[in-house]
Parts: sequence; structure tokens; C-alpha cells
Amino acid sequence: MSDGLRISDLTVAYGGNVVVSKLSLAAATGEITGLIGPNGAGKTTIFNVCSGLVRPRSGSVRLLGRDVTRTSPARRAQLGLGRSFQRIELCTAMTVRENVEIGLEARQAGLNPLRHFGMARGSRASVATRVSDAIERCGLSASADHVVATLPTGRRRLVELARVLASDFSMLLLDEPSSGLDDAETAVFADILTSTVADLGTGILLVEHDMSLVMKVCQQIHVIDFGTLIFSGTPAQVQKSEAVRAAYLGAESVEAVS
Amino acid sequence: MLGDLLPFVVAGIVSGSLYGLAGLGLVLTYRTSGVFNFGYGAIAAAAAFAFYTLHDSHGLAWPLAALIVVVGFAVVVGPLLELVTRILVGAPDALVIVATVGILLGLEGYLYKQYGDSTIAFPQFLPTSGFTVSGVQITWAQVISTGVAVVGAVGINIFLRTTRSGVSMRAVVDNPRLVRLGGERPERIRLLGWALGAGAAAISGILLAPVLNLDVNLLTLLVVQALGACAIGLFRSLPLTFVGGLAVGVSAALATKWITRPPLNGLPAAMPFVILVVVLLVVRRSQLPESRASLAGLIAPVRSGLSRAANTAVAAVGAAVLVIVPWVVGTKLPVWIAAMGYFVLFASLSLLVWGSGQISLCHAAFVGLGATTLGHLTHAGVPWPVALVLSGLLTMPAGALVAIPAIRLSGIYLALATLGFGIVMQDIVFGSFLMFGSNAEVTASRPSFGFISQSDRSLYYVALAVAVLCAAAVIVIYRSRFGRFLRAMAETPLMLRSQGLSVNMTRLCVVCLSAFLAGISGGLLITQVGTVSGVTFGSVQSLLYVVVLGICGTRLIRSPVIAALLLGVLPGYAHINLDTQTLTFGIVAIAAALIQARRDALSVAIGRLAATSDRRQPPVRRAGPAPRLRTRREVEVKT
Repeated sequence: MSDGLRISDLTVAYGGNVVVSKLSLAAATGEITGLIGPNGAGKTTIFNVCSGLVRPRSGSVRLLGRDVTRTSPARRAQLGLGRSFQRIELCTAMTVRENVEIGLEARQAGLNPLRHFGMARGSRASVATRVSDAIERCGLSASADHVVATLPTGRRRLVELARVLASDFSMLLLDEPSSGLDDAETAVFADILTSTVADLGTGILLVEHDMSLVMKVCQQIHVIDFGTLIFSGTPAQVQKSEAVRAAYLGAESVEAVS
Repeated sequence: MLGDLLPFVVAGIVSGSLYGLAGLGLVLTYRTSGVFNFGYGAIAAAAAFAFYTLHDSHGLAWPLAALIVVVGFAVVVGPLLELVTRILVGAPDALVIVATVGILLGLEGYLYKQYGDSTIAFPQFLPTSGFTVSGVQITWAQVISTGVAVVGAVGINIFLRTTRSGVSMRAVVDNPRLVRLGGERPERIRLLGWALGAGAAAISGILLAPVLNLDVNLLTLLVVQALGACAIGLFRSLPLTFVGGLAVGVSAALATKWITRPPLNGLPAAMPFVILVVVLLVVRRSQLPESRASLAGLIAPVRSGLSRAANTAVAAVGAAVLVIVPWVVGTKLPVWIAAMGYFVLFASLSLLVWGSGQISLCHAAFVGLGATTLGHLTHAGVPWPVALVLSGLLTMPAGALVAIPAIRLSGIYLALATLGFGIVMQDIVFGSFLMFGSNAEVTASRPSFGFISQSDRSLYYVALAVAVLCAAAVIVIYRSRFGRFLRAMAETPLMLRSQGLSVNMTRLCVVCLSAFLAGISGGLLITQVGTVSGVTFGSVQSLLYVVVLGICGTRLIRSPVIAALLLGVLPGYAHINLDTQTLTFGIVAIAAALIQARRDALSVAIGRLAATSDRRQPPVRRAGPAPRLRTRREVEVKT
């Protein structure tokens, strides 16, 4: 279990408003790490800092042992960090297969202008295999040639997952991937996540509001509130923690219960 | 020393306050309606001409004439613009640009037709007597026009801050839906915004006319001065916009004093655009008001929509027609050679606009650069084919410059930055040795090698071959991985970045490719004509190109073909004069943009009409609003 993503002493501020302060946490490859917290706790901000969309005020982000705090989003993806979005980012006019394909192609092309125009010799077949594998893994084979605009939200979330899976990242950030899924879809989704980690050794950092899903798939959970880490531990420890309950339910109600 | 400057400062403040008022109207209407009106200056010009007709031709006293024109524009032009806005709600920026540039061209064409091409002397109608302050002569006319502008600007500000309608208007800027839920009607408030904007345009047009004289082009480009003012106000703050207008006026006036030698003597005229370009390049994107919907809904499909057999048939018939053209058209052959150049031009623009969702309002500058490069090279004895390729390649650095705003900006701001770039090119680079130089003209020789002679017929086939090669290149590129990136980038650049693609490189590549093709088209056009001057590649031409392409639909190859026929071939046969042509293109562009913006609703309506006429039944009342191109924000709300 090696070091996938490590955030140290992270402070983020929007203007004068500090939203994350002195936060440190880690997510290993080969397992699923949960990142939970009430609304406005700073989860998506942390994701945006990890993928390079937001500059932190201080602190560092290390990916697979390498300091990436100052590198561009595209460069981080090149180094092996993939992500999905809370607000789904797909090309709605393209088919499912094309969407998965373009993700992989984007990773291959990177900054090289020549690779923008064509693939390296022999890679066409390997692209096709990886795309079909990912589509199959996410159970999208039946709708592979459907245009994304015709799919419901639940399926679109799976298309996004297939895209990041096909692109062979070593670390994935998934931002509320189960929102918009029904219970059956969520169950399938949990299986896909666990089997992916088991088969490919990918590390996943998961932001999620569905607690049963988080408790089921995560090996390690970080709980944050108001931009600080309030608890880290296994699902069982998190469920027992007073601090976590206080954060979610409010301190008074916890006192009232005890 | 300071005393020498004062007259320039005074003149700058007088014109600057009018630019400020115009900019204020522009920002006000942009923010309340979301429509950036490129035709704003043309409206001011129309007001000035209307005032001229009433005051000089019909002898009305100037206060009465001014009142009639200003009120008339507010109550007539305002509602018309609101009507256009209502149809354009939610439409992508490209259509808004086509529609409002259509307004510009239509009005300009009409004014040229009505009043002729020459500048009409417009005597100052305000009292020209005055007084002297520390050695500077100040006329009452200057005092009155500055006063009117200041009162107008302050009045609009007070109106927005204190009155009920003003507050609603500020609310509409932030969230029209919320205003509607609150029981107000955003349409009525927008109408008020347009009326105020048209009034402000009319006032500044009338008061500027004596300074600039009645020159359609000059007055139309008032929008340019106003743009500099808007940029300083970051398209957001009304007081800062007014201050920006003063800054533009004063700095342009001072520049006329200090910078008198070529090639930089074009700088004063280009000053507002220098300011605009600098602001757009320096300011962070989040500081500008959010632009409208993305182009995603308009991106050209990869396939032609025809079956393979139909495609082959069309290609075969097309090829046959094109091959026999020289044997059929007789003396009209030059028109067809020019059409080949225009096709490459429109293909280059189409790749950029319909292929990748970017926009360029400086394509004429690229074409001009390609044309002059070919001229200089063939003059220096470089063989024509080599010179043609070089004219494309050497245009690419200019494309790379434009890629800087393309990387930072999108939508309306990219359009403005490229328009600015084009005008800066026109005012500064055109006069340099790189392009037209002091002769103001460049000549090119025709290709002649092997069996190719200098005859029109030979040149036609050479141009045809170049055009076919370019078309093939565009198709291959669009179907390649790069084309997929372009289509994805139009919808979700964020996804591509998060997957590891450097989208800046993608943008740089597409703008350079487009510039390359534009350079080639310039080479073809100059070869056909023989001699060109800078006027052929002015910034209004760039606007015309975008408008004509907009008229011809959103297909990658089909639209450029139709556009080339429209702009290249048709004028050679129809013998319409230039003004009528401009007027027609303007009107058709407005219509085309409005139809595009509502194409879903139209097809529904036509379908329903067909169905009812079949069954002879009364039309079924449809529930809910008509479907239309969804804006990005709406998609967001839905998901």
C-alpha cells in the first residue's frame, strides 16, 4: 500500500475567507479512502486543490511521492491523477464510447502538438481494448453507442467513471459519484469501485453523501468540518466517534443524547 | 509645456465625455439584456444623420430636432432591439454577434445608400463663441456637449440607484428568473434598458457629429471608442465606464500631439482598442461579467448527413461542374477564381467558429497579411507555389498572437479582443513595410511554370486545386483526433484538462491552422486581382466575413461553399452596388441569426402546421414553452 496522494498543512482562502486551514490527509493507492463532512466543509475545494483548479494559500500536494503543488491540472493528470466532477462533465453530443475514448486520447496527447493529430503507431488497437474494457466494467456495453444526451443522470455518472477508469490513472478523485443514482444503481456502483481497486490497484479518494455507500466501500475515512480534519479512521471507528456525530448533528443534540 | 497640452486635454475631455456616455449605454444594455450590441455605433450614426436631415435639410431648430431624434430613437429603436433580444434569449454568443453585426452592416449600408459615400460637412450647431481659461480657448459648444454628457451619465446612475425601475433593472442584471418570480417582468425592464441605451447612443451621435463630421464609417466606429470605455469599467461598473470614456478621449488626444510619425501615427485612432486589448489580456476572467451560453449547440456535425451514395453523387456533380466552369462562364471567369479564394477563407473561419466554438473578428487582417506576403515574395522572385505556402506559414505567427486572447477568453470577450487586434493591425501594421508600406499597394505575379501559363483559365485550375486541397485538409483534420478534441473543447474544456490534455495547445493549434488557411486565401485573392490595397482588408471586412458565414449555416464545408458563392460569385453577376449588398447582408444576417436561435421552435411550429393542414383540424394548444437551444446554465440546473 503505497502513498498515492498526500496533502500537508493545506490552507485555502477565497479572498479573506479561509475555507480550509492547516489540513493534512493522505489517500493510499490500492484502497478506497472516504472524504466526508457536512455541506460547506470544504470537500470539493480540497478536490479542486488536488487537481490544480484552485491554488492553495499554503501547504503542499504530493502525488505518488512527487510534489505537484505548482503544476497545472493537465500535468497532474499526466502524472496519474484523474477525477470526476460533481456537476457531470461530458460531451453530450458524442456517444458513450466516444466520450470514454476522448478521455484516453486526451491523456495520450497531453502537451505534444503532434499527438494532437494522431496516435502513435499500433496504439489504435490498445485504445479500443481499454475503452471496451472500461465500458464493460461499468456495465455500459448495451448503451455504448448511444448519444450521452439521451441518457439519464445515473448512466451519465457511470460514463464519467468509465472515462476515468479507461485512462489508466493511478489515483482517482470521485466527487459525489452516486448522487442521482437510485439504490440499485448505487449497489452496482459500489461493486464497480471495489472490483476496480482490487483488479487494477488504483487508489480512490471518494467524496460522498451516501453514508451507507461510504461505510461499505471505504477502508479509511477522513471527516472534515469547517475546513479542518476532525477525525480519521476506519468506518467502524468513524461510526463510534463523538466528534463526527457532533459535526453532523450539532454539539447540543449529542449532549442531549448523552 | 503644460500650457501646450491643455488644449489637447480639453478636446479630449469633450469627446471623452461623449464616449463615456456611449459606453455607459452600451454597458447598461449589455448587462440588462445579455446581448452585446455591435451595432451600437451604427445606431448613433443613424441618429446623427436623422438630426442632420431635420436640422439642416428641414430647418428645424436644433433643440427641437435633437429632442425629436433622441426621444424617437428611445421609443422606436429601443423596442425593436428588445424584440431581437427576446428571440435571442439563451442563444449562443456566435448568433448574437452575427445578429448585432448584422444591425451594424444593415444600418451602415442604408446610410451609405441614402446619404452617399462622401463625408458631409456638419457645421457646429451649438454656439461657437466662448471664453479663455489660462490661455485655452473653450467654446460654449464644448461646454454644452460635455455638460449634456455628464448630466446624462449622472442621471442614469441616479435613476438606477434610487428609482423602483432602476433597482429592478439592477436585479435583472443579476438574475432575470428571480425577478420574474418576484412578480416583475424582465422583458419590460430590458425594454427600458434598451430605450435608455438607444437614447444615450442618439445623444452621443448627435453631439459627436460636429467634431467628426458626418462620416458613416467614423460614426459607426463610435462603438470602438465606447468599447475602450467599457473595458476600463470591466463591462460592469457604470461610473468607471464614464471615467474610462474620459481616459480614452484624453489619451487619444494626447497621442495625436505626441505621436506624429509613421508607422505609429495610427496609434491615436487605435487607442481605445489598445486599451481594450490590454484590459482583456490583463484582467482575470472571473472579473468580467459571465458570458452567455457556450457554442456547443451549434458545433458542426462530423458527417454530412447524407448517405455515402448521395455524398459521392454530390461530390461527382460538383467536381464536374467546377471542371467545366472555364468553358461555360466566358468573361466571368475571374469571379470564379476569386470564389476559390473566398472558399478557402470561409473554410478557415468555419473551422474556427463552427469547428471549435471560437470566434475571430480579425480574419481580414490574416487574409491581408497572406496577400501582401505573397505579393512581396513573388516580387522577390520566389516561385508562386512556394510563395503561396509561405504566405500561409508566415500568417501563422499572427494567429499565434490571437491565440493569447483565445486561450484566456471566450465568447463575446474573445470577439472583442480579436476585433481590437484587427483594428490595431489595420492602423499600425498595415502601413509598415511588412504589409502595404508607404505605397499603400502591393502587386503579385501569377503562377507560371511547366504547362501552367498566366491565363485566367490556368489560374482557375490552380486555384481550384488549392481550394480542393484545403477542403480535404479541413475534413481530415475535423475527423481526426484533433477534431474530436475541438468538439469536446467547445462543450467541456474542463474535462479535457482534467484528463491531461493541454487545451491551450489545442487552441493554439486551431487558431494557427485557421490563420494558415486565411493566409493561403489571401494569396489566392491577390493573385486573381493582381494589385490590392489595405482598404480591401479593413476590419469591417472581418465583420462581413463572420456575418456571411453566419447566414450560410453552421456546416463545416457546406457553409463555406455557399458563402463563397454568395460573396464571391453572386456580386459578379447581379450588378448590385456595394451599399445595397451591405444592406442586404445585414438584414439577411439578422434574420438568419434569429431563425437559427429559434430553429427548434420553428421546426416544431412548421411540423404542427403541416400536421394540421393534413388533418384540417384546429391546432393543438401546446403545453409549456417551445424547445430551444439550451444555455449552459439551464443544462446545469437540469442535471
